Amino acid sequence: MSVRRFLYGLGLTLLATLWILPVVWMVSTAIKPTPEIFALPPTWIPRRLTLEHIRVVLERWPFLRWFFNSVVISTSSTALSLLVSIPAAFAFARLRWWGRDIVFLAFLSSLLIPLEVNVPPLYFLMNRLGLLNTYPSVFLPIAAMPIGVFLLRQFFLNIPQELDDAARVDGCGSFRILWHIILPLSRPALAAMSIYMFIFTWNEFFWSMIALQKPTMLTLSVGLRALQGAYDIDYGILMSGSTLAALPALVVYLFFQRSIIRGITMTSYR
Amino acid sequence: MAFILPFLALWTLFRVGPVLYGILISLSHWDPFGSTTFVGAENYLRLLRDPRFWEALGNTFEFASLAVPLIVSLGLVFALLVYGAQRMRWVRVVEAALFFPYLLTVSIVGLVWRWLFDPDFGIVRITAKQMGVHLPVFLNEPRWAIPAIAFATTWWLVGYRMVLFRAALEDIPVELYEAAQIDGARWYTLIFAITLPLLRPAILFAVVLTTISGFTAFGQVLIMTQGGPGRASEVLALYMYRIGFDYLEMGQAAAVGVVLFVIMLVLTLLSFRWLGYGTEL
Repeated sequence: MSVRRFLYGLGLTLLATLWILPVVWMVSTAIKPTPEIFALPPTWIPRRLTLEHIRVVLERWPFLRWFFNSVVISTSSTALSLLVSIPAAFAFARLRWWGRDIVFLAFLSSLLIPLEVNVPPLYFLMNRLGLLNTYPSVFLPIAAMPIGVFLLRQFFLNIPQELDDAARVDGCGSFRILWHIILPLSRPALAAMSIYMFIFTWNEFFWSMIALQKPTMLTLSVGLRALQGAYDIDYGILMSGSTLAALPALVVYLFFQRSIIRGITMTSYR
Repeated sequence: MAFILPFLALWTLFRVGPVLYGILISLSHWDPFGSTTFVGAENYLRLLRDPRFWEALGNTFEFASLAVPLIVSLGLVFALLVYGAQRMRWVRVVEAALFFPYLLTVSIVGLVWRWLFDPDFGIVRITAKQMGVHLPVFLNEPRWAIPAIAFATTWWLVGYRMVLFRAALEDIPVELYEAAQIDGARWYTLIFAITLPLLRPAILFAVVLTTISGFTAFGQVLIMTQGGPGRASEVLALYMYRIGFDYLEMGQAAAVGVVLFVIMLVLTLLSFRWLGYGTEL
């Protein structure tokens, strides 16, 4: 039994190591001198360390600006979607109004439409609105995704109706019920949704690439593509850029692994 | 009702509006320097006559038929492995490592795998050579480009599936397993008689959602092969991008978007049928 458990553990550990090796190789390539990158046999742990590639990336491209753009766009889409999804979910979960079920069904059916399908019309729309190359062009369509409304509605439905009724007897209006009763009880759902929206926006690629063309307006995700030279491939630079871009995710993940995984699982209808 | 208005406005303008607008654009000819004229089904007919469209459609199906089963089945296997090791102390670390790639943005995934698969200096081929295995030049060979991209995509997304499956596994009451074990059931019986049947809804969702993301794959292809060699790995989303933003045939690009949308709709309905679930979403 204990031998089997040991082998099981060993197998799992090997699998995890294998899975993370590409990331290790990325970092390793990023911090070794160019000749060593192409050395045979390859060195997993660099013999000489250099920050040269990272310096070049930061000097030649507005990398920090891209980082800033990513932060602003992801924060905005998260904030906006919270702002509009909370009252909508409340209206679906707690209020009775004419046409509620039909509107909900309409939202529901739009759940599975991927953003990619909408790229050409969104381009026209944003062009007409004069929003291309601005932050809202990216975060508005993402905040319009109905996923948050569903998650929050589901969560609100599980909060006892008696709390609302008691508050109503005491003369509370809908807004105060939402603000003082429902929201304080919904922190886990709000956190889950925020995490999901932030990661989704941070990683969005296709539409961001179309909407943002100006070099200083790119997000990290899109900007990394610009590091690819037109003719030659400099892997030291590419891997440095990738490592820098992965760093925030790694740091946040180290501290908040639990909540991130919980956020992801809560947001998905499993 | 007032509570719903802000979201409704956003949703109408930026989610459903564009779908309808896309249909409209797909029925028009758009001149970058002039006006837009209604042309009926012409864009769709041109698509049907374009061999490149059919190639892209075939490539998309090939990619999805490789990536979707890989992601879903490996995700399930990983989840079972991690679930079975719950008492192990470093299982959290294992799970963290398997999940981490999902947090990387698609361009990092593309760049890293492009480097790993590099024909001359890529670590994958070099390591295989050291072990005496001769591997194909993945990204530069028409036959191997799509499987290689599908593999990279699996590496990227499988942790996400794993985490969701694991959450679903935790919803299964432990008593069921205990009762079966008292009756002398072995681990494989537990999996096939209890776990898999109870996970059916979760598997269905995994298949549907992974299929959707498979059919709209874009970033990893653009970065790893640019659709090459030749057009061997040009998928529909990439074709749509080229047609619309390189050749400025916006009507036709919008038509591709509508086609993608319809494919997605049909696939979703079909999988609900096959797996026999009218789930409540």
